[in-house]
Amino acid sequence: MSKTDKGGISRRTLLKGSAITAGFVGTTAVTGFPAVHADEPITLRYLSTATNQSPAIAAKAKEITGINIEYVTVTTDDVTKRIITQPESFDLVDSEYASLPNLIPSGNLMGIDAKKVKLVDKLATVMTKGEIGGKKIGDQGTAPHKVFYLEKQRGKTFAAEPTDWITLIPTTYNADTLGIRPDLIKRPIDSWAELLNPEFKGKAAILNIPSIGIMDAAMVNEAMGLVKYGDKGNMTKEEIDKTIATLIEAKKAGQFRAFWTDFNESVNLMASGETVIQSMWSPAVTAVRLKGIPCTFQPLKEGYRAWASGFGLPKTLKGKKLDAAYEFINWFLSGWAGAYLNRQGYYAAVLETAKENMEPFEWAFWMEGKPAEKDILGPDGGLLEKAGTVRDGGSYDTRMGAVACWNSTMKENAYMVQKWNEFIAA
Amino acid sequence: MLDVKSRWTPYWQAAPLALVFLIFFLLPLLVTFIVSFWTYTGYSIEPAFVGDNYASAFDKCFASLPDLCTTFRTYLSTLKFCFLVWLITLLLGFTIAYYLVFEIKTNTMRIVLALLCTIPFWTSNVIRMISWIPLLGRNGLVNQALMNAGITSQPIDWLLYSSFAVTLSLVHINTVFMIVPILNSMSRIDKSLVEAAYDNGASAWQTIWNVIVPLSKTGIAIGSIFVITVVMGDFISVGLMGGQQIASAGKVIETQITALQFPIAAANAIVLLAVVLMIIWTMLRFVDIRKEL
Amino acid sequence: MSEGRSRTFYVLSAIFALYVLFLYGPTITILVLSFQGPSGGMTFPMNGVSLHWFHNLWAGIGVPNVVDALINSLKLGLVVTLLTVVISIMAGYAFRKKFRGSNALFFTAIASLILPSIVVSLGIALEFQLVNQTITGWGDSLVENYADIENPTAWTGFLVWVGTSIQDNYQTLMGLFTSGLGAHLTWTLPFGLLIMFAVFNRFNPAYEEAARDLGASPWQTFRHVVFPIILPSLFGVALFGFTLSWDEIARSSQAVGSANTLPLTLRGLTTTVTTPVIYALGTVTTAVSFAVILTAFVGVLIVQARRRRHGSDAGKA
Repeated sequence: MSKTDKGGISRRTLLKGSAITAGFVGTTAVTGFPAVHADEPITLRYLSTATNQSPAIAAKAKEITGINIEYVTVTTDDVTKRIITQPESFDLVDSEYASLPNLIPSGNLMGIDAKKVKLVDKLATVMTKGEIGGKKIGDQGTAPHKVFYLEKQRGKTFAAEPTDWITLIPTTYNADTLGIRPDLIKRPIDSWAELLNPEFKGKAAILNIPSIGIMDAAMVNEAMGLVKYGDKGNMTKEEIDKTIATLIEAKKAGQFRAFWTDFNESVNLMASGETVIQSMWSPAVTAVRLKGIPCTFQPLKEGYRAWASGFGLPKTLKGKKLDAAYEFINWFLSGWAGAYLNRQGYYAAVLETAKENMEPFEWAFWMEGKPAEKDILGPDGGLLEKAGTVRDGGSYDTRMGAVACWNSTMKENAYMVQKWNEFIAA
Repeated sequence: MLDVKSRWTPYWQAAPLALVFLIFFLLPLLVTFIVSFWTYTGYSIEPAFVGDNYASAFDKCFASLPDLCTTFRTYLSTLKFCFLVWLITLLLGFTIAYYLVFEIKTNTMRIVLALLCTIPFWTSNVIRMISWIPLLGRNGLVNQALMNAGITSQPIDWLLYSSFAVTLSLVHINTVFMIVPILNSMSRIDKSLVEAAYDNGASAWQTIWNVIVPLSKTGIAIGSIFVITVVMGDFISVGLMGGQQIASAGKVIETQITALQFPIAAANAIVLLAVVLMIIWTMLRFVDIRKEL
Repeated sequence: MSEGRSRTFYVLSAIFALYVLFLYGPTITILVLSFQGPSGGMTFPMNGVSLHWFHNLWAGIGVPNVVDALINSLKLGLVVTLLTVVISIMAGYAFRKKFRGSNALFFTAIASLILPSIVVSLGIALEFQLVNQTITGWGDSLVENYADIENPTAWTGFLVWVGTSIQDNYQTLMGLFTSGLGAHLTWTLPFGLLIMFAVFNRFNPAYEEAARDLGASPWQTFRHVVFPIILPSLFGVALFGFTLSWDEIARSSQAVGSANTLPLTLRGLTTTVTTPVIYALGTVTTAVSFAVILTAFVGVLIVQARRRRHGSDAGKA
């Protein structure tokens, strides 16, 4: 049964009912995993950032499928670089959809066979079609559905229509917005434009990943009414020039305290009071709150900037390891992992199975935007939110429905990076 | 050079070094270039393209003079840091080496103190870098101390995420590279020379300037090479301590590589290489560090 | 020089003490913060004092691969250190003479320091990828050309066997001790070489002549005369080599294959770990390093003491 590691107790109480009663036997029966326990266990080298690499997921995967997951932890930048430079150094990679336009032409990733992915029809429509409940959502930028399919297994071009070859199978996705310190700002914030409000001089920060930072800047520019974009995720040279000009002006005026590049930096900047307003990730806001510091993941009227990441397979993967990779992906979509990620504030790829693995009150809090009936515990059993709180930004439909643009790789990427460097040098 | 060894000896002695550099430095450099013509970053294979990269590295540089373009500005800022850090580490390194050689009497004590200077480097760099925030930040130790002592009433912002912070952390990391070679050169100085200078009525400063500095020149040159090369290519300290807001030549290259634009990054790397090699070469006109081997 | 302790001594001692304080600033901060209370964050103020985060670390930092990474780093560091010392000594010797290409070699070493580490790392990765593609290409072409032919001979059979074994087993030449090791050496060797320059600079050849006159072979001269004299500096080179390798991030980032080194894993981890547990880890690694250096140092002292008893006066100027 489940190992009693840290938080095992609370997880068990958490999961009593649906998943655990079905139990190990149930799970194998329900989703029909061929047990590979008989052979020597296969190890999959799983390359990604630390965000999704939870030991609990690896332990559970081992228990159910018998596959050893060996995490290779690197930074966001290094994930993409390693796909380009060392495709032999991993068996499974969790990477962003936004970087696919750069990665697919290298030929180092191969299409994932949709026929081997059991729940392929259940994948969230946000990812596959860019809609929620049949309604189109904002798809400026590299929206996942634009880069979801390949023409052929070893193709280097994206297919406009669904095919049997999927680029990445979604793991997590979310909508980002500004994080603020309500205790230090002391007034409501409702627009991206506030990021460059001189009121917060020396206390604002943006993300120093050019392809994402520029999107935040675009949201700000549009909110301030300075630039009207055709497509924020695919700017023209003039649009880039204008966007960067605004940033340079703000920088020279001393608006920014720092730029952050990873989760931890963003948490530290906010928690230490170095910044009071910055673009942020939902779990980072949660991390600040866990330290007893007020921090709000502020929904804004212009909408969210969304991102998504998913599993890719290196072109060199074959034989038993390839089978194991498919088996792991199928297990990953089968609910337990999805529930685990949902509890961190991310969104899972297959919502139905994730729901089966969550308590009704948890689902109501995380996904339906309802006040928490009981204390909400994190995946490790720690207290995240007290009873009665409501998730910032509301329900899944409200949040993902308000997406304005997606992280992206532009056609003018080279020019954009050059201008970004200019901004850094200003 | 009274050696009766064969004249091939230096060749096989230098062979391992040459081999390592050939396989792991020269070839990769070459490959970086060749690959920069490949199509996987979406570029076409055209020789003209090399020119393009250098052209975009110096985009509008000559047209916009006297205003400095990005590349020139970046190099200027990098050189500024380089000079400052070099000067501070030189003075500090020389002083500490002098102290260890001439003021500490026992060898054991000397080694203990030298080791003392290396221990912080054993704490992982990554963790060390994070810890600057609680040390220098708005609510950091230094600011708390200053405010408690009544020296300031407001936290000082420029302790962190500023040119000051970058210089500080570069000095922090690189002083030891200055100390070691200077220490090595200095400890070889015959003490009787120093005594002789004193006996002839030279003041302490005169002795340092006329005897010790010339004899430590090699160490100073070697230390300077370390510091200048490391600082010129640095992007980690500049990034973290400058709050990612300060440009340096290394940082530009890093940003381009992160965006998977290898060709232009390669072009920039070569420009950087050329600039720094010129600096070093000029320096070696003054001190031939191999002359006295 | 002068009688007793001069004023200079006290002034310089103060400067040295200040420098050490500055040097240890981050280390001390880490030490203090690692004793944060359970609800404390990664910055001041302290919320109580506890061993909570050390317990937390002991229970596993949250990701199991830290220990593997630490072992990887340690192994790599030791190999790098050994090679750096040996190759540097040899090269140092070589550079005492004039030889053709010495200038080119010297400037190559300098260039290796200058070129931003990420570029070196990337280059190495791409180079190895080319090699890998070549090898797998051979495998494929062997199988294609020689499998299922009209009249197989033992030779073609062997070629097919080679081809299929490449296809089945060959993954990559990249790894910790191939590309990773090389990447680190391009970083440590220039340092080693330059320190050797400082060592052999004004190295008095009289000792060597004396040894030769007494009929020592070159190797004996090195072993019994030169080596003892330069031994302290070699410790310096070794320490340098290990420290540089131990902390190296950028060069490793694209060149270590799937075996991460400690700094890489830590850097990956810092993206999500936002508790003082990371400081606890820092404190522990520092303490361990401290213990290692202390042990090595005491070992050296013991050796020296024994030497003195045995009356070897090598190395005494």
